[in-house]
Amino acid sequence: MSYWRWSLTAVRQATKAAAVLAAVFLFIGVASVEAQKKFSRMYPGSNNVRIQLINRTGTVTVEGWNRSEISITAILEAPVANLEPQNQSGTIVINLVRDNQGRAEVGNVNFLIRVPVSAMVDIETKIGNLSVSNVSGGLVRARISSEGDITLTNIGSSAVSAENVIGDIFFDGVMQENGNYRFSSMRGNINLRIPFNSSFRLVATAPSTRNISMGPFGTGSLNYMGDGRRVVGKFGEGSATLSVTNQQGSITFLRR
Amino acid sequence: MDCISCKDHLSPFMDDDLEQTVAEQVREHLSACDDCALALEEIAAVLAACHESDPADASPPNADAMWLRISNVIDADIAEQERRRLAERTPPKRSWNFTFLQLASGFAAVVVISSLLTIVAIRNYLQPTGDDIYTRTKTEQTTIEKLLGRVGLIDSPEAARERQVREQQAAIDYWDQRVALRRSQWDKRTREAFDRNMQVIEQSLVQYRSNLKENPEDEISAEMLDAVMRDKMNLLRDFSDL
Repeated sequence: MSYWRWSLTAVRQATKAAAVLAAVFLFIGVASVEAQKKFSRMYPGSNNVRIQLINRTGTVTVEGWNRSEISITAILEAPVANLEPQNQSGTIVINLVRDNQGRAEVGNVNFLIRVPVSAMVDIETKIGNLSVSNVSGGLVRARISSEGDITLTNIGSSAVSAENVIGDIFFDGVMQENGNYRFSSMRGNINLRIPFNSSFRLVATAPSTRNISMGPFGTGSLNYMGDGRRVVGKFGEGSATLSVTNQQGSITFLRR
Repeated sequence: MDCISCKDHLSPFMDDDLEQTVAEQVREHLSACDDCALALEEIAAVLAACHESDPADASPPNADAMWLRISNVIDADIAEQERRRLAERTPPKRSWNFTFLQLASGFAAVVVISSLLTIVAIRNYLQPTGDDIYTRTKTEQTTIEKLLGRVGLIDSPEAARERQVREQQAAIDYWDQRVALRRSQWDKRTREAFDRNMQVIEQSLVQYRSNLKENPEDEISAEMLDAVMRDKMNLLRDFSDL
């Protein structure tokens, strides 16, 4: 009998504890949702529209789509940042640094931006990851002032630039004739995945690690210079210009 | 009457101070001697000029002094004539005579040589040594640059690098001060991220400075030092507006 009484008490206590926990989780969830703010806006655009974004902290994802509009969605974490995109004669400009000048604390802003495939993309952030995919406009520029990964996937632009201090850089795309491609990092891994029929002049420098792996592209007329710290030369006709610098990391070429 | 005695009597002849017979001999010699006649004309011209000039400018009425000057003029004139005679007797200097063909060939040779030199100089300037122009680093010099460097018109690579580093360091110091003012307002995450990234940059700076100390000719380290200095400046500048 005492056994059943003890068991009943335990069940009651467990039920109370579960109720309290549920209430706590519910409160935290609601508070979290209330702390965030969502921004969403569409802009009409042409094929050669340009998006220019300067973020403070947070992730930025840009995707190309088969529509002429630009869709901007942002999740703003507390303390919520001021966000005032501007349409400056065909260029959508978002400058969170300028819009929040003088504010001591600003929460992360995580963007998801969809642009026409032929759009030009120029994105920059102080801290956070940048990702661009399915874009073939005249320009793709991704720059992180400090740390964060840069991922450029299915890119067909003729001018591509990616730069960070700490973090990986991944480029997967087609190199255009007479295009200009520049990748630079202080510490991280730079991986370039390009078609075997690419044609480029290369200067790849990895001074600390001397870790430059040309993979299948090692068959080009390439020279190792400075005790293997730099690879210089041509692959194919050498029409595009490719410059890769990784101060304390590796450089790897992959076949697409 | 000879020329010497004639010229001695020219002055009194002009002043009508000679005896009739002597004056007649002078007149006869003048009609036969061009040199003495010319000397007489010059004396007459000098006297006319003296008469036409401002009386205030005229020399003091000292007849001896005036005639001495006139005599000097005549002597100078005679000396000039002697010099001309001697010059006529000396054989003429050799002159360079070329045919049209020779001139044309010479001109063509000058054009070809100068064109070749220009082409070589331009190619050397635009296309430095190496398999590919793209391999050229900032520290490599063309022949023209080396030449200008030797005569002191441009900096040597080492001096240029030092100057560039100084300029970059000045910019870095400026942005460093800006960051120092703002840093206290950053949140913890931003401060940590900044410090982490700056540490990585400093590591590379130390490495390249060390490399260049061991080997000042290390072009890759020099180029990388320049790049990392720029990265440091960019990091400071980017965080100075947070």
